[in-house]
Amino acid sequence: MAFLEQHIHDAPTSFWSKYIFSFDHKVIGKQFLWFGIFWLGVGGLMAMMIRWTLAYPGVPFPLIGGLMFPHSGGVVPPDTYAMLFTMHGTIMIFFAITPILIGAFGNFCIPLMIGARDMIFPTLNMLSFWFSMLSGLVLLFSLTLPMGAAAGGWTSYPTLSTNIGQPGAGQTMWLVSLFLFGVSSTMGAVNYITTVITLRAPGMDYFKMPLTIWGIWLTAILNAIFVPVLGAGLLLLTFDRVFGTTFFLAGAAATSGKGDPVLFQHVFWIFGHPEVYILILPAWGITSDLLAFFSRKPAFGYKMTALSLTAITVLSTVVYGHHMYTTQMSPLLTQSFMTLTMLISIPSAIFFANWLGTLWKGSIRFHSPMLFSLGVVFVFGLGGLTGLYLASTSIDLYLHDTYFVVGHFHYTMAASVLLGGFAGTYFWMPKMFGRMMDERLAKIHFWATFIPLNGVFTGMMVLGYAGMHRRLYNPFIYEFLQKLMPINKFVTYCAIAMGVAQLFFLWNFFKTIFGKNIPQASANPWEVGTLEWTIPSPAPHYNFDEIPHVKCGPHEMGNPNLKTGRDYQYQTEELVKS
Amino acid sequence: MDISIPHRLIGLVAQGSELVVKASEQMSLWERMQPPVDISTSGHLIHWLFNYTTYVNLFWFALVCIGLFGFSFLYWEKRHKKALYTHGNEKKHLMITAFIGLGVFLSVDLVITKVTTRDMKEVFWNFPVNDPELVKVQVLGQQWAWNFRYAGVDGEFNTADDVVQLNKLVVPVNKKVMIQMTAKDVIHAFYIPNARIKADAIPGRFSKLWFDTTKTGNYEIACAEMCGNHHYLMKAQLTVLNQEDFDRWVKESQQIAIATNDTENMDLRWGWKWESR
Amino acid sequence: MMTKAEQQTELKSFQNSVAMTVTLISFGMMFAAMFLGYFLVRFNSPTWPPVEIENMPKFLPLFSTIVMALSSLTYYMMENKPQQRKAYIALTLVLGLIFLGSQWSLWSALAESGILISNGNVPSMVYAFTWIHAGHIVIALGLVFWIGDFVFRRPEALTVGKLVNVGKFWHFLGVIWLLMYLMLFVL
Repeated sequence: MAFLEQHIHDAPTSFWSKYIFSFDHKVIGKQFLWFGIFWLGVGGLMAMMIRWTLAYPGVPFPLIGGLMFPHSGGVVPPDTYAMLFTMHGTIMIFFAITPILIGAFGNFCIPLMIGARDMIFPTLNMLSFWFSMLSGLVLLFSLTLPMGAAAGGWTSYPTLSTNIGQPGAGQTMWLVSLFLFGVSSTMGAVNYITTVITLRAPGMDYFKMPLTIWGIWLTAILNAIFVPVLGAGLLLLTFDRVFGTTFFLAGAAATSGKGDPVLFQHVFWIFGHPEVYILILPAWGITSDLLAFFSRKPAFGYKMTALSLTAITVLSTVVYGHHMYTTQMSPLLTQSFMTLTMLISIPSAIFFANWLGTLWKGSIRFHSPMLFSLGVVFVFGLGGLTGLYLASTSIDLYLHDTYFVVGHFHYTMAASVLLGGFAGTYFWMPKMFGRMMDERLAKIHFWATFIPLNGVFTGMMVLGYAGMHRRLYNPFIYEFLQKLMPINKFVTYCAIAMGVAQLFFLWNFFKTIFGKNIPQASANPWEVGTLEWTIPSPAPHYNFDEIPHVKCGPHEMGNPNLKTGRDYQYQTEELVKS
Repeated sequence: MDISIPHRLIGLVAQGSELVVKASEQMSLWERMQPPVDISTSGHLIHWLFNYTTYVNLFWFALVCIGLFGFSFLYWEKRHKKALYTHGNEKKHLMITAFIGLGVFLSVDLVITKVTTRDMKEVFWNFPVNDPELVKVQVLGQQWAWNFRYAGVDGEFNTADDVVQLNKLVVPVNKKVMIQMTAKDVIHAFYIPNARIKADAIPGRFSKLWFDTTKTGNYEIACAEMCGNHHYLMKAQLTVLNQEDFDRWVKESQQIAIATNDTENMDLRWGWKWESR
Repeated sequence: MMTKAEQQTELKSFQNSVAMTVTLISFGMMFAAMFLGYFLVRFNSPTWPPVEIENMPKFLPLFSTIVMALSSLTYYMMENKPQQRKAYIALTLVLGLIFLGSQWSLWSALAESGILISNGNVPSMVYAFTWIHAGHIVIALGLVFWIGDFVFRRPEALTVGKLVNVGKFWHFLGVIWLLMYLMLFVL
C-alpha cells in the first residue's frame, strides 16, 4: 500500500513565521496551550468573584474589588454578577477547555502519535488558531462595553437573550464571538479527521492508535457534525437581535409575529449535549493511555475501551432532550430521552472496568501524570454517577436548575477535564519544550487541587439537594436557603484554596520553560513506546526523519519475553513473542 | 423522610426571619443538608428514587474506590515489581467486563427508568382534570414577579371578577391544585421547593403542573430559570390554609376583587380560557 | 501498475475527498438545523401557507432555481470538457452573479409587496434562509473565480482536486437552494 509523501520544507527562521504565523502543528498546539491557560486564569478569577458573592453577599470583593466595582464600593453588583457567571461558563467551555484539550493536545499529539510530519492542512490549522484568537478578542472587547458583556447565562436562552432581556451590544458580540469560534472549531475538526484517516503511518491501524488519538478523533467528529448546528442557532438569534426576525420571540418580546423560544433550546442542546462529550473525550483518551503507561502493562481491554468510547459518542447525539425536561416536551419524547440517557451508563461502566483492570496487577509508578489520571477516574466516577439522578425525569422535577446540576457538570466537565488536561501537560511537557517539570511541585499541585476540588463540587451538590437553585445573586433572600450559609462559605473557602493551588502549576510551568539551569529532558523520560517518544525531545522540525513503520500496539509493556533490558517496546518494533 | 425538629420549625415560623436564623444557628450539618420540609403528597416518590439511586451509586462507587485505592496500594512499583502481561482480552476478562456492564444495566438503568416512568405516568403526568374539587390557578411570570389568577365566582378565567394576586398563592390543604402558566417576557421556572415540583413558564406556550399539599403554613415559591439581573428577587409566597380559612379568604378577596378590579383596563386581562386537557 | 506520481495523485484526491465530505457534512448540519426550525414552525402552524405570505412573488424564486440548476450544469460541463473550460467557467460565473441579482430583486419584491422581515415567523425564515444561502453563494463564487483564475492564466497548475472540490461545494449549494425553494415557495 502506498502512503502519502510528506515533504520537508526548511524550518522558518524569522520570529514571525516561527512563533506567530506558524504552520507547524507543534507551535500551533503550544499557541493554543498559552491561549487556553490565559483564559483559564480569567475564567478562574470570575469563579472566585461568583463564589465570594455567594458566601459574603454585600461584602466588597477583597484586594481588587474597589478597583473593579468603584460604583458599589467594591461589592459585585447584581448585573455584573449575571455577567460573571455567563462569561465564566462561556470562557471555561469555549476558551479554556476546548483550546487546551482539543486545540493544544489535538494539534500536538495527533501527528506525533500517528507518525506524521504535520497536520494534513497546515494553513487551515493556522487559520483555525487565528479564528479562535479573533473570537477571543471579540469576547474580551465585549467585557469593556458600557452596558457590559452578555449576561443571559452561557446557554443564552431566548427571550432573555433577545433585545428585550439583553438590550446591550454585549449579547450580539457574544454571538459573533461564538460563531467565529465555531468556524475555528469546524476547521480544526476537518483537519483532525482527515489527518487521522489519511496520514497514519504505515502499519498504524485504527486499533493500534493510542487511545488519546481515539478520544481526540471522536471529539473532532462530534465537532464537525454538531458545532454547525450551534452556528445555525447563533445566526438566527443574531438575526432576531439585529434584523428584527422573530424566530425565538414570543410574549411581550414579540411586537409583531410570533416565534418559539423553545426552538433555540432544541438547537442549542442538539449541539450542547455532544459538546459535553467533545470536552470529555480527549481527557478520557489521555487518561486511558496514561493509566496503562504508568501501570507498566498494556491497556486492559483496549479494543473494548475504544469501542465503548465510540458507543458513547454515538449515544451522546440522541440524548440532548434531558436538558429540557422542564419545558414539558411530549411524554413520549421525554421518556425516550430518559431511556437513551440511561443507556450511556453501560459503555461508561465498561471502560471504567477497563481502567481498573489496567491498574490490576500493574507495577504502578506514581509520577505526577499518573496521579492526575487516577484523579480523573475518581472525579469522573462521582460525576458520572450523579448524572443518574438528573437523567430521571421525576428527580429532575426537584433537582433541575439547582446547584446539584452545577456540582454534577463541574465534576464531569470541569474537574475531570481539568485533571486530564494537567495530566497531559505534565506528561508531554518534555516533548513540547524539551524540559521536565518539577516533579515535587507537580505533586503538591495535585493534592492542593484535588482535595479542595472535591470540597467545592460535593459542596455544590449538597447545596442543590437542599434546594438551592442556580444563578442567584443572593440566595439568602429565600428563608429556606438561609441555613445553607455555612455550606456556601465552606464551598467558597475550598474554591479559593483550589484557585491558589494553581499558582504552583503556573510557577512550575513558567519556571520550566523560561528558567535557567533546567536540565534537558531525555528522548523518552517516561519509558513508553508510542511514536512521539522515538524522536528526540523537544520534537524536531517535521518530527520524523523517516516515516516510522508501526508493528505493534501502543501499550506493549511488561512483556516477559522482552530481551532488550527495557520493560516496554516501541511501536516500531515487532511484537516480541515467546 | 425523617424531619428534624428545628427543621419543622422553619416551616411554621417562616414569617419571622430572625427566628429562622436563630433556629438555623443550632443546626447540625446533617440537618442543614436536608431539603426543605416536604408538604406534598408526591414528594416521597422523588425521595424514594433519590435514595435508591444513592444506595446503588454508593455501591458502584465503592467498587471504583476499592479498585482505585486498593490496586494503587497493592501494586505500587515498590511492592509489585513485575507487572502482569495481559491485554485484558481473554474470555474471562471479557466475561467480567460484560458482567459489570450487565450489573449496571440491571441495577441502574432498568430500575430507575421503570420507577420514573411509573411515577410520571401515575402521578406527575396524571393531571387531576376531572377532580370536582380541583383548585385551578393561572400563573403569569414576568420580570421579576409572579402573578396568580383565580377564576372567581363565575368559574371562568379572564373575566371581571377574577381574583388576581401578586406574589401570593393561597391554596387549601389536602386539595389538588392545578396550575397553568405562561410568561410575559422571558422564560421563568415556577419552583416550589417544598412540593418538589418545577416547570418552565415560557412565553407563547402553556405549561402545567399539579400538587397536593398535606401541611398548612407559609412556604416559598422561587424562579429557577435565569430571567435577568434580578432573577434572585423573583420570590413569591405559598400559603397553605385549612379549608375554613381558605373559604374565608376566597370570600374576602372576591369582594375586594369585585370592588376594585378595573374592568376597563385590558392590560389586567392577561388570563386565558382554562385549557381542559 | 500505477507510477509513483499517479499513486500520490490518487492519495491526494482521496484525502481531499475525505476533507470535503466532512466539510459538506458540517455545512449540511447547519442548514439541517435551520430546516428543523422550519418543520417545527410548519407543523405548529394552523394554516399553510400562512396569511403573511399570501402574495409572495412566485416567478423570481423559480427563475433563481433554473439559473442555479444551469450553473451546476455548466460547472459539470467544465469539469468534463477540458477543451471548452474557459467558456463554461465564464458561464458559471455569470450564472452565479445572475442568481445573486435574482435574489436581490426577490428581496426588493418581497419588501414591495409588504412582506417585511419582522412580519412574523415565515417571512423571517424566507429572509434569513435566503440571506444565509446567498452568503454562502458569495463565498462559493469567490472559489469559482479562483478556479477561473487557474483556467485562464495557469491551467497547468489546476489540479483535479481543486476542480472537484469547488464543484462539490457549488453543487451542494444548488441542492440546498432547491430544498429551500421547495419548502419556502412551492410546498
